[in-house]
Order: sequence, then C-alpha cells, then structure tokens
Amino acid sequence: MNPKLARLLTRLYPRPWRERYGAEFEALLLESRGGLGMAANVVRAAIYERISPTQGGKMNQDPRSFGSLSRQASAFLPLAMSLTALAVVLGHIAIYGAAREADEGAAAHIWQLLMAGQLPVVAFFAIKWLPRAPKAALGVLALQAGAVLVSMAPVFYFNL
Amino acid sequence: MSSTRNVVKTEKNQELGHYSDPPLLVLASLANGPKHGHAMIEDIERLCGTHLGPGSLYGAIARLEQQSWIEPLPPEERRWPYRITAEGLRVLRAKLTTLHRFAEAGLQRLEPS
Repeated sequence: MNPKLARLLTRLYPRPWRERYGAEFEALLLESRGGLGMAANVVRAAIYERISPTQGGKMNQDPRSFGSLSRQASAFLPLAMSLTALAVVLGHIAIYGAAREADEGAAAHIWQLLMAGQLPVVAFFAIKWLPRAPKAALGVLALQAGAVLVSMAPVFYFNL
Repeated sequence: MSSTRNVVKTEKNQELGHYSDPPLLVLASLANGPKHGHAMIEDIERLCGTHLGPGSLYGAIARLEQQSWIEPLPPEERRWPYRITAEGLRVLRAKLTTLHRFAEAGLQRLEPS
C-alpha cells in the first residue's frame, strides 16, 4: 500500500491506540496490497475504536521497552550468571576465609567460567537489540555491567 | 425434513460457510506458534477461508491483548509478533469445544431422518 495512504488510515485511530499499535499497524498496511475493501475495513474499525475504545494498561506497553527487553533470556541470563558468580565467591569466603590460596580451587574456576561464559550472551544481546531499541538496550547493558562489577568487587577487594 | 446437501454448489457452500469471529480466529491462528499480523491473515485464510482485513485483525489483537489472552513479543525488523498465553489457550479450547458440540448437533439435524 502507498505509504501516505497507510499513514492517513492509521491516523483515523484515536491517539492512545496509535501510540500502542500505530507503528505495527502502519507496517502491516504497507505490506498489504491495498484496495477499496481493505481501506473500508480499516475505516470501519477505526470508527468502532473511536466509539468503543480499547481500554487497559496494555495500551501503553511497548515491546521495545526496558521491561519487555529485560525479560529476554539474553538480558537476564548474564545477570543471573554474575549473581551466581558473586554467590560462589561469597560462599567460598564464608567457608574458607578471605586468604589468598596458591592453587586456584573449584570456586575460582566456577567464577571464571561464569564471568567468561556470559560474554557471548552479552554480545548477542547487544548485536540484536542495540539497533532495534538503543535506549532500552543500553539500560539493560548497564545493568549487566553493574552486575559484573559487583561480582568482581570481592575478588579484587580481598585480592583472591 | 429433507436433506439440504447438493442444494448449492460446493464453491457457494464454502463462501456461505465463511466464519468470522476475529478474536477466535486470531487465537486459533496463534495456537500453533507466534505470528505477526501478515502471517496471521494468511494463516486464517488457509485455516477457514476467511480473509481478515487489517482493521478487523488489529481490533481483535487489541482486545485479546487487553484480556491477556495474547501477548506481544519483541519486534523482528518491521514485524511485531504475538503469542497466545496459557489463559488464551484455555479460552480457545473451551470455545472450540462448545463450537464442536454445536456443529455436531446442528449437522445431525440436517441429516435426513
């Protein structure tokens, strides 16, 4: 469909509806072949939406929002790995003390695996989401970086 | 009561038999996996021959999402996929079961006695 007509038809809908569905609806119209029947269908639906608007909190939910992005596996997995690494270090300190050992134990290897293992996941997240939703993706990446720093803090603080 | 079979041609029957309940059609389309708008329109057409217009489709999507029967997934390029929720699956199953019972009873009445 003609982009101008797609935009015009989308603008027939009320603002709250457009804010939630406008972009995806316009993309769908652009992909469609168009025609009088389809335009009539959209006009009818837009009038109905103005008479009986869709209600509810979901209207403001953006799939590219921080909340939506943070539910992605590639967003929360690195956070979980950092927190597990932190728990491993703190558990080791609690049991064996903070003294530096000559031989790296199992805890040190687990910590290293968890920290290194999350790098490809973080890279995947950044490559996938930074171009699509830069602001929200940067927020998630900052959170992941924070979790890495927190899990590294006891290692450097106690010089383990 | 006489049978109504062969009264109208098969093509005409198909045309008359178009089913149009957009929310139910959207739920049925999403039952076998997430889809974006265009894929839903094509799938529904294959499923029952009904061509949903974009207005009808998004009218149904908005209301189904409001009821938490479907949920959006992160966009893929310029496409916004949706998936059915567990509650949506329960609703779909219940509605289809009722329709099935209704269709069976209705068709039985059309059979010659």
